[in-house]
Amino acid sequence: MAGAIIENMSTKKLVILGVLLLLFQAFSFMVGGLIAPSPTTAIHYMATKCVDNVKGHHQAKKWFVPWGPKKCDKIRDFEEAMAKRIEANNIVFAVHIPMPDKEMSPWFQFMLVILQFDIAFKMHNQIEDGAMVTVDVGLAYRDSTVSEWTEMAHSVELRKLSCNFTTAKTIENEGRHYECDVLPFMEIGSVFHKYYLLNIRLPVNERKKVNVGIGEIKDIRLVGIHQNGGFTKVWFAMKTFLTPSILIIMIWYWRRITMMSRPPVLLEKVIFALGISMTFINIPVEWFSVGFEWTWMLLFSDIRQGIFYAMLLSFWIIFCGEHLMDQTERNRFSMYWKQVGPIVFGSFCLFIFDMCERGVQLTNPFFSIWASDVGTELAMAFIIVAGICACLYFLFLCFMVYQVFRNISGKRSSLPAMTKARRLHYEGLIFRFKFLMLVTLACAAMTVIFFIISQVNEGHWHWGDYTVQVNSAFFTGIYGMWNLYVFALMFLYAPSHKRYGDEQSSGDQVGNSGEDIQLTTTITHVDGPTEVYKMMGKEAQE
Amino acid sequence: MLTARHASLMSLAVGHQYSSLASQPILCSSIPGLVPKQLRFCRNYVEIMPSVAQGVKIGIQECQHQFRGRRWNCTTVNDNLAIFGPVLDRATRESAFVHAIASAGVAFAVTRACAEGSATICGCDNRRKGPPGEGWKWGGCSEDVDFGNMVSREFADARENRPDARSAMNRHNNEAGRTSIADHMYLKCKCHGLSGSCEVKTCWWSQPDFRVIGDYMKDKYDSASEMVVEKHRESRGWVETLRPRFTYFKPPTETDLVYYETSPNFCEPNPETGSFGTRDRACNLTSHGIDGCDLLCCGRGHNTRTEARKEKCHCIFHWCCYVSCQECTRIYDVHTCK
Repeated sequence: MAGAIIENMSTKKLVILGVLLLLFQAFSFMVGGLIAPSPTTAIHYMATKCVDNVKGHHQAKKWFVPWGPKKCDKIRDFEEAMAKRIEANNIVFAVHIPMPDKEMSPWFQFMLVILQFDIAFKMHNQIEDGAMVTVDVGLAYRDSTVSEWTEMAHSVELRKLSCNFTTAKTIENEGRHYECDVLPFMEIGSVFHKYYLLNIRLPVNERKKVNVGIGEIKDIRLVGIHQNGGFTKVWFAMKTFLTPSILIIMIWYWRRITMMSRPPVLLEKVIFALGISMTFINIPVEWFSVGFEWTWMLLFSDIRQGIFYAMLLSFWIIFCGEHLMDQTERNRFSMYWKQVGPIVFGSFCLFIFDMCERGVQLTNPFFSIWASDVGTELAMAFIIVAGICACLYFLFLCFMVYQVFRNISGKRSSLPAMTKARRLHYEGLIFRFKFLMLVTLACAAMTVIFFIISQVNEGHWHWGDYTVQVNSAFFTGIYGMWNLYVFALMFLYAPSHKRYGDEQSSGDQVGNSGEDIQLTTTITHVDGPTEVYKMMGKEAQE
Repeated sequence: MLTARHASLMSLAVGHQYSSLASQPILCSSIPGLVPKQLRFCRNYVEIMPSVAQGVKIGIQECQHQFRGRRWNCTTVNDNLAIFGPVLDRATRESAFVHAIASAGVAFAVTRACAEGSATICGCDNRRKGPPGEGWKWGGCSEDVDFGNMVSREFADARENRPDARSAMNRHNNEAGRTSIADHMYLKCKCHGLSGSCEVKTCWWSQPDFRVIGDYMKDKYDSASEMVVEKHRESRGWVETLRPRFTYFKPPTETDLVYYETSPNFCEPNPETGSFGTRDRACNLTSHGIDGCDLLCCGRGHNTRTEARKEKCHCIFHWCCYVSCQECTRIYDVHTCK
């Protein structure tokens, strides 16, 4: 009979494997921390206030450029506009992305822009409650400094102003700025062009109450965020290296399973599915985004990640369930509908949410589900449902883990009654089983710890001359870790070949009696249960 | 000579005060009172000189806002190179404040100008990896704030390199002004990971409203440390340094303002100290503070007259440039110092 490789492997080999994996793990952290720059860059843009002198709107759309040879007529502040009798509708806020002498690159992968208003407090012109700003915005691009601008998108968007004024609303405090929350403004999933231009207008229409009661806007500030080219390159390199590694072990794993006389059991299938979803993430299709304008890449990578997370969570549930060692026959996916259901439902909710946000952004980069009240409620609903599903899942998982450990310790109490050789053997097996549980926990804990570190830290540590990019280290390290986890899982849980060789050890022969067939654990009747489970079952009988 | 010495940075603001700063190139040699180092700087960084001037200007405006009800109200005279008059010649609290707020203003305005894209030399320096130009694509840019501070330091401190006490004081106060900007930057973050989760988060530092800096510097003005001048003999000759006058007070930190001469009371006009006096200044009858008639008029009493002012009322405002109002007449009592 045989079990998985982990059961038949000697401790020495296990340790060697562990050390090797740890080395790779350290390496993947170091790649991010030492080679890659920080994952993203945020750049401040202060919108230039251009004056639209063109009378009438019948001619072709004009683009206003804040600087450079064809720069627009600009005004420094609105007092100047007041003096020159320029109307609000003729003021265009222009932002050129990026800064002078720089150009954007497809390696930046995505770009999101955040909007921030500087609004001065005036006694008689305060921000009304629930004020909405109507933004008429156009996005254009060009690929050389001399060519014409080509329109990419145009939209009229509503954004809710949430500003508060922390000091007393008295005449002395006039001119102080409100503290306004940043507003999501734009998101594009591929930075294919070299230069981008944003033209923003805040049209006023008193009759329709458009842009009335929004206070005295002093400035519009934008923050552009994109992924750093260096990080993208390191990330691609990592994916390109990991894809074949996981693919090879996957093929090897499946070959081993098909070589057996019995059909694969559920746990084996799930591990294989996990491998597939990992490979799905790993495959570096992003290379194409350097050559093609694929704006859906952002959405696509969200979906890939979602599938992997759902798969990983399902795997843990099934892994625990198949090791429960109670008298129930599982080995069917339908047995786990109660636990896997929340995962599927929660992921589905997040998928719908993502489609509503990033999906719509494919056609209108300025869309934000958070901009409207209905959208916000809908989005919150999806997120809350997903949150409830996650809680439900973790309750199930914790309960199952608890059950497994309870069963183990129950079986363990009967250990002293056995012969010494058998006891040592069994104890070793229990240790290895727990070892994998602990590895999972360690991985999860590492993820959480690094996540917290990257959240509270400012992003980089200085070590003498070296700068360690903590955030990049987090991304590459954690990504590498889960790859190694899947790798180790497929390697250690592949069926062992030792059954083809020596039909070994006393314990097995004893165990082949009728009593443990009724125990029916993980690995089907054809092959008999793996040693661990069988042993557990046996002890229970003893 | 003394007058010109503290004037040049400030004169930048006057020379271009009412011209459209952004559109006209600045001729470095036309700015009066620059020392050679500043002139060199101006030629190298001619793109950002308008924002340097703008910075000094917003510093002075803030000064005038903060001191609006005080005996010394940051008065500037336009027909003189030394726009504050002789006030800044003395090492007083007022000098300390003006230097600090002006150097903060320069750092502020340059940072802002960089965000507007009005200069190509901002931010992205070549400290990053890779060949020039590629650094930006590899790892982005450094913060504009650092650049703003650098400009302020290079330019405002250029003339404060003598070993005398006044240079030491100015250097300290300039630095205090710049530090106040750095200390008031606030962090904003955006989550943009899977489904917008905080798995990926990008943060950036934003500059505060300059009024916040003004308030803070005003506090520092009120709690400024008085120093005494100490002379040491060093290899390069006599060096003057500053030491806190009162040892039982906490010594000034990097962010505190320092001075070593007492201020005149600014009650009576005095061409020597640069005091304009408070005669004819409007005062607040109901206030018991420094802007109240008792204190502001230095006990000389005040005149009261009644004024009918036409004012705008029942206005409809737009976010920009348009106010439609009715005209109302209101009667005011105006109190001015004797």
